[in-house]
Amino acid sequence: MDFRINDEQRQMRETAREFFEDREVLERARERIDGEAVVDDLWADLSEMDYPALTIPLEYNGLGDDVLYLSLLLEEAGRVALPAPLPETLAFGAFVLDELGTDDQKEEFLPAIADGEQRLSFALYESGQESLPRDIQLAAAPTDEGYRLDGTKTLVPFGKQVDTIVVAARTGSGTGMDGISLFLVDAERVDSEPQDTLDRTRPTTKLHFDDFTVDESALLGTEGEAGSVLQEAMDRYTVATCAMTVGAASRAVEMSSEYGSQREQFDKPIGQFQAVKHRIADMWMATQAARSLTYYAAWALENDEEDAARAVSEAKLFCSEQLTQVFADDIHNHGGMGFTSEHDGHIYFKQAKAWETFLGTPTEHLDRIADSHDL
Amino acid sequence: MDFEYTEDQERFRQELREWLRENLPDGWQAGERPGTDDPEESVEFLLDWQRTLHEGGWAGLHWPEEYGGADASLLEQVIYSQETARVDAPARINAVGIDFVGPTLMELGTDEQKERFLPKILSGEELWCQGYSEPDAGSDLASLSLSADRNGDEFLLNGQKVWTSYAHVADWCFLLTRTDESGPKHHGITVFLVDMDQEEIQTEPIHQITDETDFNEVFFDDAVAREEHIVGEIDEGWEVAMTLSAFEHSMSDVFSIDQRWRSLVEFCEEHERDGKPLAEHTHVRRELARLHTRIQAGKLTHYRNVSKQMETGVPGPEGSMDKVFNNQTEKKLENFARRLLGANNALWTDGPDDGQWVTDLLMPYGKMIAGGTKDVQRNIIAERVLGLPKDD
Repeated sequence: MDFRINDEQRQMRETAREFFEDREVLERARERIDGEAVVDDLWADLSEMDYPALTIPLEYNGLGDDVLYLSLLLEEAGRVALPAPLPETLAFGAFVLDELGTDDQKEEFLPAIADGEQRLSFALYESGQESLPRDIQLAAAPTDEGYRLDGTKTLVPFGKQVDTIVVAARTGSGTGMDGISLFLVDAERVDSEPQDTLDRTRPTTKLHFDDFTVDESALLGTEGEAGSVLQEAMDRYTVATCAMTVGAASRAVEMSSEYGSQREQFDKPIGQFQAVKHRIADMWMATQAARSLTYYAAWALENDEEDAARAVSEAKLFCSEQLTQVFADDIHNHGGMGFTSEHDGHIYFKQAKAWETFLGTPTEHLDRIADSHDL
Repeated sequence: MDFEYTEDQERFRQELREWLRENLPDGWQAGERPGTDDPEESVEFLLDWQRTLHEGGWAGLHWPEEYGGADASLLEQVIYSQETARVDAPARINAVGIDFVGPTLMELGTDEQKERFLPKILSGEELWCQGYSEPDAGSDLASLSLSADRNGDEFLLNGQKVWTSYAHVADWCFLLTRTDESGPKHHGITVFLVDMDQEEIQTEPIHQITDETDFNEVFFDDAVAREEHIVGEIDEGWEVAMTLSAFEHSMSDVFSIDQRWRSLVEFCEEHERDGKPLAEHTHVRRELARLHTRIQAGKLTHYRNVSKQMETGVPGPEGSMDKVFNNQTEKKLENFARRLLGANNALWTDGPDDGQWVTDLLMPYGKMIAGGTKDVQRNIIAERVLGLPKDD
């Protein structure tokens, strides 16, 4: 057992940090908040670094790295609130393609993702559904050439900025994760409307499927049997968001520490007051704890450990319940400045709040942890 | 990054498991901790356990072989902590001697001191205490004032220590004294190894909120310490004390919390409310899940700290997090456990496990102070890890 990151991982992280700072990615997140289109340019930059190729298998022109490696990169991305669908494309899209895709589908998509020519997202949630997509209703009925989709999806991350969307639908009857099929849908063909969201760095889209037909080649895997892969894809994506949240929280701790050392009140730096100092120490501890849980979840997923699902839920629960408090404390530590749009704190806070209940509310993850213990 | 244990490490675990199965005191199987109300008997029992550990070769796991230890790696020590917590093994009564005093002597002691003291520390023949805190010097340790005045080749000790665990049964004390008052307060401190068996040293037990009396006030009235028993240089004891602190790295409680969580789950499966086991009540299930998440976070962070220590060779300020975070977890767990008792929560020795539940509830409140309060630990994190300005 050795819980250190190795030299290669460390070097990748340092390079990523320099790169994200050099390209002023946080500045571009601010532009994205102001409604500007930044994803295309940003994606070109990311592709220059081969980041979209990271977890694509070697045979498809990728770099063949694992989800743990991706998490370390995303931790850096989280520090600058990367406003681009990298976790959606890799942790979710490329993963389901690799698991379920036919040779043709893999050949078509995976090298294109690696080359930076394909961005992917997913459509799981439906209107009126607040939680885990167990109750997917969007219907996919077989036709002579393929399938007809009917229904509406909501909260599709970067729905307008990606090329292909993995759409979860129900084929035939079935409940829960039974009878679920995944389809690759060309984003341009779908009737979509942007949604205004709390986290404007990562916009979402509503999709309307109305008598919408796709070829048989759009189906991923066997009809009605995508449930378990979908669950693992959600787990991978969940860990990816945890990694970004941990990176953001590290930045929040740094900002609070820097401000606490500089800002003077009552003739002293405020970080000298234990009320402030101890709050920042608590923020750091929560961030470290979340980081440990996230690394372990990524490692457990990659190694198909028995407790992988529980590890994911524990990382997610802790990020949701404890790290949002870290971002709130960062705002508080900065006083009135903290509540301005000028200070970066709100960017991270809003993102964490948006993710707090995405892909499973804390309550649902608590139940999943309890189930895993046979409670 | 890898969470698998190697074959060698697993073999070590198996050996230890087997040894524990054969050597744990009678009745001490997992979860059962038959105790005695008699303090003397209790000390005898723990000394016996210390001797058993020593005979089995487990006493000085982390000590080098030349001093009779097993030269175990940090990970083997982690495995030792996991396994002894799993079976709820008795406490190690000479932890101060083995974990702190011994390693400090190996580093800074004279050859004579090593030869004289180390074997008896390991065997448990001589029990140690640590004379640090004074009534006016706790968190601000350097303001201590117990005086050591030269008298030929001896020193006369006068003053008082407090919160000294096991001083009433200890044979020797690792004692911080004041030998020079003229300079800055970190200078002029000298460390002595002091024989506790003299009439000039009196101990007064302190009655703890747990009803136990493990620690003491210790009064020195012209007690004698010898020059040959100074550790390091005279007046330079602060560095010696800091060396010892570095060995006082987080002996993490995280594995015993894990064990307590499992006992709590069993309790919830065995006890019913409203016609069904507590474990099937939604709020109980969820709170157990939340506690497990925190325990897991503490455990994994401890592993990361150990991994870092393997790289750097020295324990870092991260140990402060182990202490504070896991202590908070422990309190949360004990509080939840007691809420499950309902009104019976008010019972002590007439309650479950002959009062053990109540004692377990109270213990974390003492641990949060011993070895540096949680406030001191958060200062360490804020100042040494995050670079925040020091207190004036």
